[in-house]
Amino acid sequence: MDKQLEKLISLHDLDVMIADLNRKDIRKREADMGLHTEGALEELKELRETYCKSINRKWRGLYNQLTKHYGNAVVPALMGRCAGCLTRLPTAVCSDPERNFKIHTCPTCGRIIYWAD
Amino acid sequence: MKYTVLCKFALSGASRTEVIEELLRLFKIGEKSRGLLAGALDVREKVGATVVHSGIALPHCRSILVDKLTIVVGRSETGIPWPEEKVNTVILFVSPVKVNSPQEHNKFLGHIAGKIRKFGDSIAAAGSEADILALLGFQIEEQGE
Repeated sequence: MDKQLEKLISLHDLDVMIADLNRKDIRKREADMGLHTEGALEELKELRETYCKSINRKWRGLYNQLTKHYGNAVVPALMGRCAGCLTRLPTAVCSDPERNFKIHTCPTCGRIIYWAD
Repeated sequence: MKYTVLCKFALSGASRTEVIEELLRLFKIGEKSRGLLAGALDVREKVGATVVHSGIALPHCRSILVDKLTIVVGRSETGIPWPEEKVNTVILFVSPVKVNSPQEHNKFLGHIAGKIRKFGDSIAAAGSEADILALLGFQIEEQGE
């Protein structure tokens, strides 16, 4: 898998983690189980900065732009379609065994696509 | 409601990282995705260990690398340092990232919280796989194909 794509997926999952810990219901549930999330949120945000710095400026910019616009910048391809907008992806890309070794974007919504291995 | 889970009741990993990797090997995903998930779970543990009861750890996260709620239960006879206290039961789960998944994630957290509040000591001390699964309200996923 393309290293930048790996980093973008990790950044996406980290953003989901931060968003979850910002949700009152999830934070309360975790606190009920004795999990302390106060400091965790700050640490995750710092970690996010570090992740961002390791991502190529071009992809980082696109990621931030897509996140701002759609809420999610990276989506899987599902049965040859973009899971974000359901547009059918080019057959040539979908059938390429090396498809994850390059960053592909949806021709319609522009989201970053990855294929589950 | 009973949740379907995968199980490994004789964990061989000696550390938190090893056990998480061992449990993730049960996920029906590729090696690369597994590595990325291990990384996400490791991040979550580093910012706050997920020991939810004496002897029970609950490593969890949401990720775009899974398409459904995936739960794995593991058990170690010798105990695993997590890292400050030893645990013998590990309930690892990953929820997908979908429109309604924060609610699904929270609902499952609520299910686990309820079971641990009620049966935490019994779960940690349970002698058999069937006992743990019954106490947690889980059933084993059929390994078809």
